Amino acid sequence: MKKYLGPLNKENPILVQTLGVCSALAVTAQLKPAVVMALSVTVVCAMANLIISLLRNTIPPRIRIIVQLLVVSTLVIMVDQVLQAVVYDISRLLSVFVGLIITNCIIMGRLEAFALSHKPLPSFVDGVMNGLGYGLVLVAIAFFREFLGSGTLWNYPIIPASFYEAGYLNNGLMILPPMALILAGVFVWIQNAKKDRVK
Amino acid sequence: MMKNFSTPYIYFYLIVLVTVIAIGLTAVSLGLKPRREFNQRVEKAQQILCAAGYGDVSKEMAVAKFDAVVQTIDNQSKACYQIHCADGTDGHVVEVHGNGLWGPIWGYIILEEDLNTIKGVVFAHKSETPGLGDKITEEAFTAQFIGKKLHNAQGEYTSVRVLPKGKNPSIAPENRVDAITGATLTSKGVDAMIMQSFK
Repeated sequence: MKKYLGPLNKENPILVQTLGVCSALAVTAQLKPAVVMALSVTVVCAMANLIISLLRNTIPPRIRIIVQLLVVSTLVIMVDQVLQAVVYDISRLLSVFVGLIITNCIIMGRLEAFALSHKPLPSFVDGVMNGLGYGLVLVAIAFFREFLGSGTLWNYPIIPASFYEAGYLNNGLMILPPMALILAGVFVWIQNAKKDRVK
Repeated sequence: MMKNFSTPYIYFYLIVLVTVIAIGLTAVSLGLKPRREFNQRVEKAQQILCAAGYGDVSKEMAVAKFDAVVQTIDNQSKACYQIHCADGTDGHVVEVHGNGLWGPIWGYIILEEDLNTIKGVVFAHKSETPGLGDKITEEAFTAQFIGKKLHNAQGEYTSVRVLPKGKNPSIAPENRVDAITGATLTSKGVDAMIMQSFK
């Protein structure tokens, strides 16, 4: 059980393995798109792991990357279509980044490192956990960026109007991508500090 | 560990896999098509109603409201709809399309009866930079267009030019609106889009 919980903490895809950072910076200006993105990656990662694990004994090793790409891109297109049908405005916010899940290293990495050599159920769980580990960081970054940058959470105003009347201003810098990188850096720092203490 | 697969097997494997994927994707795409198209219609209705001064109309109300105030025009003029605006007057809706920095931008321009004076505009984009290029959708930008005249008394195209403050001083203030700082290429895209549509 312990090895499946790794992605949430000690082996976090973003904070420790530094995978999937690009999309983590791009979609975290608000909480809502970050959560949708996290769910999309979790679904793709889990399903791709499951399918590749089911096929693992039939896949010729010479074309295994091609097969993985086919499976992953199929899943991503399906997720994109579902998002466009169900949560159209959020899919507009996520724009190209849903399509770019295909190139998210977390997914190909888990297929190569885990699904090709493990049974379907453990592979599925591994995919879910890695997706959640990614999502956890996304939501954490988005929480600070939306709260400090727009004064809202999940589009609901949190900072009362009286604060604004007293001269409080939203930090516009939080909305821009550089602050996402700096926040992600701070989280990596915290993670590394924790690791050192364990040693 | 590594099994040897014959070349015919590899070909056969890929053909079967691709066929299954193609059928699956087609089914998903066709199944969700009505909902995607409905979402796009709702978005278009919301944008046009916003330009006509109705403010933000909820998703549920948008199509019904749109059908109530808008008539499709079927002649050769540039306008595609006639709309009964919030202030009680009638306007003509012209659809414009252009290119931003990262992808397509488009908009709806509502003209007064003279087909020359702008009553309201709304712009939309597929993937402009958040916080910079995507400001073309904000009221601070679009409000500048209201009241501008597209052609002068001689019928020459004069307005609206989207230019940085102080650039090309030969162009009169009543024919220009301020470009968005930091989003030069998106602003140029809006400028070119309007010029192409009315020149």
